Amino acid sequence: MIGRRELFGAAAASVAIAKTLQGDIANAANEVAKASSRAQSADAMKKLAGMQSRGADGRLLRLGTLDLESQQDFTLGFRLMHSKQMRASSVAVFDRVLEAEGLDATTPLTVDQVRELIGKDPAINIASKTWLANQQVTWKTLAGHFHKNSDFYLTEMEAADKAGPGSLVLSPNMTIPEYTKHEIHIQPGGYVGDPFAGHIYHYGTNSFYISVIGHNEQDQVHKGTVARLPLPEDGKVKRILDVGCGVGQYTAALKERFPDAEVWGLDIGGPMVRYAHMRAARLGIGANFAQKLGEDTGFPDGHFDLVTSYIMHHELPADMTRKVIDEARRVTRMGGVYYPVDFNSGGDKSPARQMYQRWWDHRWNNEVWSLEYHTMNFTDEIAKRGFTQVKNAKPALPGFGVRHFVRTA
Amino acid sequence: MAAQDSKRPTYATDAIPSDVKNGLFLGNAALDNVVSCVIAMGAELWSTKRRLLVMQAVMAKKGITSEMIEQYVPTEAEKADWESDRDRFVDLTLGPLADGGFRPVGSNFPKR
Repeated sequence: MIGRRELFGAAAASVAIAKTLQGDIANAANEVAKASSRAQSADAMKKLAGMQSRGADGRLLRLGTLDLESQQDFTLGFRLMHSKQMRASSVAVFDRVLEAEGLDATTPLTVDQVRELIGKDPAINIASKTWLANQQVTWKTLAGHFHKNSDFYLTEMEAADKAGPGSLVLSPNMTIPEYTKHEIHIQPGGYVGDPFAGHIYHYGTNSFYISVIGHNEQDQVHKGTVARLPLPEDGKVKRILDVGCGVGQYTAALKERFPDAEVWGLDIGGPMVRYAHMRAARLGIGANFAQKLGEDTGFPDGHFDLVTSYIMHHELPADMTRKVIDEARRVTRMGGVYYPVDFNSGGDKSPARQMYQRWWDHRWNNEVWSLEYHTMNFTDEIAKRGFTQVKNAKPALPGFGVRHFVRTA
Repeated sequence: MAAQDSKRPTYATDAIPSDVKNGLFLGNAALDNVVSCVIAMGAELWSTKRRLLVMQAVMAKKGITSEMIEQYVPTEAEKADWESDRDRFVDLTLGPLADGGFRPVGSNFPKR
């Protein structure tokens, strides 16, 4: 049994640890910088991370505090409830509005028609409001933690920037295009505007997956997608490019499936590729990351055997999507595979409920470019640009577009 | 956000903010704000309850009784820490009451 004196003793010990933490962090960061092998580097990274985190659950470091972990647990729980009850509640009101207008839920509508309809009864929007409020809590609590402990997390990233086994290329002087600066998913700072964009995105999106596709805390969805990616006909995969890699879960999975290949993940978000590289280094995965644009990768012509991307194109304006496809064609070798994973697209009219969801997500979840993406026929755009679509291909990510292309021109 | 840690390289730049806080979803900004508060309050309440569950589990293993908790007197440092945490709690849970949405839900993006 522990008495009050022992409780005070424990508190005093905590204070002492806090006082020495800065020095210990610096020492641990030096160990990362001095590591001369992949194993040493990964061990040093884990030791450094362990000074702030509460251990790891498989590939995922536990969040820095129990409260933060619990807040994320709540927002996940709310999402799960929301996807069933709240959404159904809004749909029921929307259906009543449609009925009053002499329409049914399958009627193809334009965005403008949907915008007019959803203003007719504010009760339609209870699902939108609660979902967004929950999303704001997700981001605010995560951002609050990483900024409150910014000294540690910046030190950790600075140490990791130099660590192996993979490399990191940052471009602090490059011009960041305006189209990339939006706060997609209403994440404060978006992918480019917060030093901890990668940390925040990674933990915030775990709950996205569980409520929509399934568990992804161990990168299960990314690994499963990579496992289903097709190979070039000659089976040769020496170089792989992941365009718009975000926090590098897909890139890391590619390197794990093709350990002998040179794998690159590109993203315009400096904080995103820093986090991606740090995480891969901690896992001992030798993927390379660079802060670059998908429409201007800088790689030589025909450099890659496999070029891919993971749910990235709906975050681009349509004209940029076309440029990224052109660039993908340039860097894919003849006979190489191009397989961008993303939503199905095509058409400016959809059944009422579907268009309501699409409009709402675009407008208020700040998916700024998603309407352009959904209106364009992404598959046709690829086919127009020197790639040949493989018939009867299977989806790399079930439920998403099947876009298995081979460079033939 | 980008400028917050500007003494060290952060590789971040200024983002274009979303205008989600200007959204008016339920026909009345006050009602929208209350909904935001309820969600945030839920997060804090569950966080607290989950911590209690963890504490109960840990204490049970260490022999700590409920009576020992009831009798505990916080130190001055603890009082200060807890007040700071209370202020953060109030900001998170009730701060949205001060938001002022005005843009109808069907409105397009504002010109930038």
